[in-house]
Amino acid sequence: MGKSAVHGLERLNDLYNRKESVAKEYRKQGKKIIGYLCYFAPPELISAAGMVPYRIMGRMDDEIIQAHNYVEPLGCPFIRNCFEQDLKGNLDFLDGRIIPHSCDTAQRLYGIWKYYKSASYNYCLNVPHKVTPWSRDFFKRELHFFKESLEKYGGVEITDEALRNAIRLYNENRAMVRELYDLRKEQPPRLSGSDMFKTLIVGMAIPPEEFNALLKEILAEVKNRPRGGEMLPRILFWGCIIDDARLFELIEESGSWIVSDDTCIGTKSYLRRIDTSHGLMEGLAKGYFEEFRCPRTDRGPDIHRFDYVLDLVREYDVQGVIGYTLSFCDPFKLDYPDMRDYLSENEIPMLLIDDDYSLSHLESIRTRVEAFIEILE
Amino acid sequence: MSHAANEMSRAVRSLETVRNSKKLLPSFFSRENAENRKVAWCMQGVPTELLEAFDLMPEWPENFGALCAARSVAPRFIAAAESEGFSSELCSYMTNTLGYCKRYCDLGTEPPESPPQGGMVHATMLLGSGYLCDPRIKWFQTIGTRYFDIPVFNSDPMSPPIDRDIDDPRMIDHHMQHLRADLKDQVAFLEKHTHKKFDVNRFREIMSISQKSIESWRRVYDLRKVKPCPMGSEDYFSCVIPQMFMLGKEEALTFFEKVYDEVKDRVDRGVGVLKDEKYRLAFYGLPPWHNLGFFNYLESLGAITVFEGAYYIGPPVDIDLDDPLEGLAERIWKNACWHHRTSAEAMPEICNPALQQGIGSKLLLRLIREYDVDGVILHRTRSCRPWSWGQVHYRTLLEKEGIPALIFESDMTDVRMWSDSKVKAQVEPFMETIAQLKYGKID
Repeated sequence: MGKSAVHGLERLNDLYNRKESVAKEYRKQGKKIIGYLCYFAPPELISAAGMVPYRIMGRMDDEIIQAHNYVEPLGCPFIRNCFEQDLKGNLDFLDGRIIPHSCDTAQRLYGIWKYYKSASYNYCLNVPHKVTPWSRDFFKRELHFFKESLEKYGGVEITDEALRNAIRLYNENRAMVRELYDLRKEQPPRLSGSDMFKTLIVGMAIPPEEFNALLKEILAEVKNRPRGGEMLPRILFWGCIIDDARLFELIEESGSWIVSDDTCIGTKSYLRRIDTSHGLMEGLAKGYFEEFRCPRTDRGPDIHRFDYVLDLVREYDVQGVIGYTLSFCDPFKLDYPDMRDYLSENEIPMLLIDDDYSLSHLESIRTRVEAFIEILE
Repeated sequence: MSHAANEMSRAVRSLETVRNSKKLLPSFFSRENAENRKVAWCMQGVPTELLEAFDLMPEWPENFGALCAARSVAPRFIAAAESEGFSSELCSYMTNTLGYCKRYCDLGTEPPESPPQGGMVHATMLLGSGYLCDPRIKWFQTIGTRYFDIPVFNSDPMSPPIDRDIDDPRMIDHHMQHLRADLKDQVAFLEKHTHKKFDVNRFREIMSISQKSIESWRRVYDLRKVKPCPMGSEDYFSCVIPQMFMLGKEEALTFFEKVYDEVKDRVDRGVGVLKDEKYRLAFYGLPPWHNLGFFNYLESLGAITVFEGAYYIGPPVDIDLDDPLEGLAERIWKNACWHHRTSAEAMPEICNPALQQGIGSKLLLRLIREYDVDGVILHRTRSCRPWSWGQVHYRTLLEKEGIPALIFESDMTDVRMWSDSKVKAQVEPFMETIAQLKYGKID
């Protein structure tokens, strides 16, 4: 967004605190802002259509009032909160809304949301649950339908060149985020987990080229930092969607470093690149479906499906895992006992924080986190 | 924890055929020839016709959950699952099974607290279905990872989102390609693990019986529009057993023919479940399996439930059985399309190889008129969000039509969430509202 007086992490904090108003500024410039609920919908396609992808986020400290009139209290509190934000007018800067069939609540809320508050563009992207050659073909066809739908809405053609360019920009985002992750392998790391998460959250709210510019600044700043800092236990954060840095700050304030994660906004999305050598859609299908390890996708009955987490634990020299599950999140809650036991077999303790996307019990969480970190020391 | 039987815990069935269902459906209730057959634990959504074709003996953990609920042993199994770290929010059909598996592994045999028939016959394979919900994608994965090292197959029928054009040939091809591949993969899995070749001719015969059964059962739906209503939910929720677990078996066809004959006879004679039918209700959601006497309680208030929003099958569809596997795929898709057209903004997942669905909002409003319903009771099942999600919206739509709707919360399996007095405290004022609207007075 033009020249800024502040740079790097200072600019990051500024953007983090006013991410919605940043999106609104793009809208004032005549850009269409397209909200998407999760990463099964590749933002590359939105970007290639000349629109600004914006990952729909909630407000953890906001009380649910209006959504109660339209949907049940039993359901993903994150998605209900996002719906609430729209009902309150806080997402009115979005021109479009894309809800992938990532989970039951998302799939079932789509129509109700559209009924009570339709955006000028609404789309539900279907996502298979099994990883098979025909499921990947199904997802690829879904991407084609999605592309057509965006073209129709925007009155534009998404050319291969535009899509290739968007994928390139996002791959540059990924490469720089990976560099930042690499810097967190140091002990002590030169970048806190909290700042890393803020970076990822801001990345979901601004266009990829702007994110590249910000990442360059952050990388330059972090690389220039002198080594040294407190030697603290190293944590991997596992779990459901979270788009508020307070929990990360609490965990680090309690005497630890979050050095890695297994989250959809973190390693699941960034520790890979979209490989277009076998075609653009093939690359997106591989990256956003086949290799995107959301627990809602069936990967067979095998404890080794969690090996990639153990790999992260080793690679980032992690001593303990803190898990975060949202109320009613079946896929994560079903994986938790297997994950906990597998980590335990490998002598990695795990603490689970179960929350209703409000962090309303922050102080009791703090007590539990402090006790957990103590056993790691 | 013990849960003493209460007033509503057992249902009194009205239809003689239903009261005799144990005798009429021996292969389901008596587990005939279990010792000679491979046993598959199956989820709803696995085509029973395929199980029949491979002569598999199915056990149905969801049904086992209902049985454990009815016998009040479910809370013990659920507690065992919770001790493993499985959240109390998770589907209680599933936690009931996970607790059972945990107990089985601890003891090395069926847990003695299992319902009277013993536990489930031990499985040689797990056949899951991603139809309906996320827990069903994960359920058998968890059993296969944690408790029993046996092969697992999950099918993945994909439902078209509500605003897709299902008449677009590309959309049809898109879904049919996936459905066919998924079914063929399922057949290949069954061939591998039963060591039997898929017999197309046998399967054609099974599909033919299945089609006739559906037609026969579906005719009963229409008879319930008659006043007084000849059949209530206490019977319906038993009749769904052959629909869910036995399509393709002669027994199921005979059973449905008998049900039809008995209900038709009642209609011909002008006999209803209630002598004095004051109110006609619809019931939406999964039933409280632990308290099916709830429907008798409603009857004691002069109210009969005339249709249900659970396990609803659309009208029979024509399919070509020349290639019966293709015919099955065609039936699944056509049935899904029927539900797609009768749904609207709130729609359950509709692509179910086992046919039955929850009903969509448009269909609910249509049936209200067709069955001349005075009110709707919606059961919000705490541990089953897919069946509960949308009920607030349904209530809004119904109230716009001047139809009172009550949402009451408990669970399909976990009796710990049930209280007769709490239910009565909600139902009684609701019935008063209906009485006032219908008769202008409190009865």
